[in-house]
Amino acid sequence: MRKTPASLSWPLIGALLLFSAFPFAYLIGLSLTDSTLARPLNGFSGLDNYADALASTAFKSSLWRSALFAVGAALLQLALGTALALLLAIRGRRLGWLGVALLLPLVTPPVMVGVAWKLLLAPVGGALPEIADTLGSSGFNPLGSSLGAFVSLLAIDTWQWTPFVTLLLYAALLGVPRELLDAARIDGASTRQLLRHVILPLIAGTLVAVFLLRLVIAFKVFDIVYVVTSGGPGFATTLSAFDIYRTGLQDFQVGEAAAATVVFSLLVGIFVTVVSRLHKRVREVAP
Amino acid sequence: MIARPRRWATAVVTVAIALASLPLLYLATLSVRSRDDVLSGSLLPSKLYWDNWPDTFDAIDLTRFLVNSWIVALLAVVLTMALALPGAYYVARAGRAGDRLAAITMASYCAPPVVAVLPLFFMLRWAGLNNTLPGLALVVGLANLPVAVWLLDGFLRRVPREIEEAAWLDGLGHWATLRRIVIPLASPGIVAAALICFFLSYNELLFAISFQQQQSTQTLPVALSLFQGDRNIEFGQQAVASLVGIVPVYLIAVLAQRRLVAGLVAGAVK
Repeated sequence: MRKTPASLSWPLIGALLLFSAFPFAYLIGLSLTDSTLARPLNGFSGLDNYADALASTAFKSSLWRSALFAVGAALLQLALGTALALLLAIRGRRLGWLGVALLLPLVTPPVMVGVAWKLLLAPVGGALPEIADTLGSSGFNPLGSSLGAFVSLLAIDTWQWTPFVTLLLYAALLGVPRELLDAARIDGASTRQLLRHVILPLIAGTLVAVFLLRLVIAFKVFDIVYVVTSGGPGFATTLSAFDIYRTGLQDFQVGEAAAATVVFSLLVGIFVTVVSRLHKRVREVAP
Repeated sequence: MIARPRRWATAVVTVAIALASLPLLYLATLSVRSRDDVLSGSLLPSKLYWDNWPDTFDAIDLTRFLVNSWIVALLAVVLTMALALPGAYYVARAGRAGDRLAAITMASYCAPPVVAVLPLFFMLRWAGLNNTLPGLALVVGLANLPVAVWLLDGFLRRVPREIEEAAWLDGLGHWATLRRIVIPLASPGIVAAALICFFLSYNELLFAISFQQQQSTQTLPVALSLFQGDRNIEFGQQAVASLVGIVPVYLIAVLAQRRLVAGLVAGAVK
C-alpha cells in the first residue's frame, strides 16, 4: 500500500476555494458594506444591510415559503417515489423502456418545463382550463390565486423530480437480499408485515439520504419561479433565491441582497444539519 | 420478491407515465397549431400548421442560442471532469483524508447557487470574463464539481485495487495510474457522470441570466425565459423554441439511457 499523494486533491481544493470559500468571504464583505454593481465594497456600513434585509416583508416571508416549499416538495416526492418504486419492484421485470420514461423529466431543462406548464395552465388557450371548462367549472386559473400558484409550482417540481426519487429507491429495493424476503415469507409474513418490518428498515438510510438530497436541491429552485410565476401573485411564490436575485440584480440593492443571502444560507444550513444528523442516526441503527 | 408480480402494478405505472408525458405531448401539439387554433379552445390541432417552425427561427436567433448552450455545456463538462477526476480518485483512495474532502465538497453543494451570484459577478467582471461563453462555462463547470465528485467516487472505488498496485510495481505514479489504468477501466461510469454534468450545464439558468446581459452570448434557457411571458401569445412559437432545446438532450438521454440509469443509481447507492 502506498500513500495517496495529496497533489491529487489540489485541483478540487483549489476549485472549492475559488468557487465556495472566496465567494462566501466576498459575500460577507458585500453584506457589511455599501455596495453598488458599479462599486462593490464601498465603505463599511455595519449591520445596516441585515436590518434592511430583515425589514423587507418580501424577503422575510420568502424564508418560510422556501422552507415550506423545500420540505413539502421533498416529502411529497419521497412518498410518490416510494410508491412508484414499490410498484416497479412488484412488477418484477427489468426496467426496459420505463428507464427512459424515468430519465426524461429529469433531463428536461427546467425553463422548458416551466414554459410547458405555463402554456398548459394559461387561462385562455391553455389545455387544463379548457378541460375544466368542458367539465363545467369555468374560470379555472390556478396561477391567479396565491395557493393555486404555490401548489402549481409544487406540482411542476414534483413532475420533474419524482422519477429521480423513484429510480434511487427502486435501486435500494433491488438491494434488499432475496433470501431475507423468502425467509420472512416462509415464516408466514404478510406483504404488509414484510414492508413494515423487513423492507422499510433496510431502505430507511436511502430514504433519508434521498430526502436530504431533494431538500438541498429544492432550496435552490429558481428557474420555474422565474418562468412560471415571477414570484406572484403578490409575493405568494417568491422563494428566497428568486427574491435575492431580484433585489441584487434587478433592483441593484447589492448589499441588502448579500445580507439576505447570508441569512438564507443559515436557514438552509440549519435544515441540512438537522436532516444529516437524522441520516447518521438511521445509518447507525440500520443493520 | 416483495409480492407476486401483478398485472395491475404494470398498469398503474403505465398510467402514471402516460400522465407524466402530457405536458410534453401538449408542447408537441402546440408547435403545429396556429395562434387562432390554440385560442379557439379545442385541445387538438384542427389543422397542422407547420409555419410555427420557420417563424420561430425568424422571431429569435434560436440557432445562435443553441450553439451558445452547446459551447458552454461542453467547455463546462471538460473543466468539471478535469478537476473532479483527480479529486474523486483522492476521495476514493485516501481513507480518512478522502472522506473529509468529500464532506467539504458536499457541504459546498448544499449552499444555494444564488449565494455565489454576486461575488462571481464581480470576479468575472474583474477578469473581463462577464458576457463571455468561457466565463459562464467556468462558473457552471465549477458549480457542478460536487455532483461530479459524488458520482465518480462510486465508480472509481470499484476499480480493483490489485490492478492499481500492479501498476505501481511497474513504476507508474498515482497520476499516471489514474490516467492510464483507472480512467480507462472506469470509463462507462465516467461517461455517465460527464453526461449528467452536461445536462446540468445545458439546463442552467441562474448564472446564465445573471452574467450574460448581451444577446450574443445568451444560452437557450435565458433566451427562452425572456421570449416567453404573459405578453407573448404565440403559444406555437414558444413550444417550438422549447422543443428545439429539449430534443438534443432527449436524444442523448435515450441513446445513453442504460448508462445514465446505472450512473445515477451507482452515485446514490454506494
